[in-house]
Amino acid sequence: TGGHTTEILRLLSCLSESYSPRHYVLADSDKMSEAKIRSFEQKRAETFSESQFSLDRIPRSREVRQSWSSSVVTTMYSILYSLPLTYKRKPDLILCNGPGTCVPVCLSAFLLGLLRIKRTIIVYVESICRVETLSLSGKILYYFSDYFIVQWPDLKKKYPKSVYLGRIV
Amino acid sequence: FRFKDSLAEELQSADLVISHAGAGSCLETLEKGKPLIVVINDKLMDNHQLELAKQLHRDGYVLYCNCSTLVETLQSMNLSALKPFPPGQPEKFASFLDKVFGLQ
Repeated sequence: TGGHTTEILRLLSCLSESYSPRHYVLADSDKMSEAKIRSFEQKRAETFSESQFSLDRIPRSREVRQSWSSSVVTTMYSILYSLPLTYKRKPDLILCNGPGTCVPVCLSAFLLGLLRIKRTIIVYVESICRVETLSLSGKILYYFSDYFIVQWPDLKKKYPKSVYLGRIV
Repeated sequence: FRFKDSLAEELQSADLVISHAGAGSCLETLEKGKPLIVVINDKLMDNHQLELAKQLHRDGYVLYCNCSTLVETLQSMNLSALKPFPPGQPEKFASFLDKVFGLQ
């Protein structure tokens, strides 16, 4: 969604073509991100003509301020929905930065790893908005990601297993 | 006006921006090198949004006030004391990932 998409596209901006093809996963209710992504990929195709990408949509796992108990149910539904997608794509790398959408995708990849079907490296980059506290997605994925990147030093102190590279968006 | 897709044009021609504490608004303004006063809405207490505004203020990039102190802030502001906002470095992220995958 919105700010998350802008941030993640900035993260992608300096990646080489080794990180290809790119599969974007969006919440079904997200209207604006698709346009931003297509615009980014179009520009990229000007430099890297072999550039490939795809877009998939999954049900949104949680609305803003949705209650805890119903969030667990909707997230589990989203994990079930994500499993076939993650199984089909078998990504080497999942890169995410915080919207609720990323939790089920990452958990489904983690599960496929446990089942020895595909080992995916999960890299989580917490949003630049998060200076002192982690988002809910961050709190969950801190334990499931291979690399957890924060953009402010306070968070690095609070979450010592995280990686601090300074501001990267 | 109500909602526009992008305020980039208005931003470009502005001499001073007064904004709420939304991260997108703050960062977009700072990246265009415009002086920014962030107005905090005390009543909207969901405030992880405040974290970024507070930090930007601590680091000297923005001025910061609430609705009731806005006029006073405008009267006494010293915009030249604001520091220029250095851009983020996505190349550091790319470098990090390359190391993870042994691509360096």
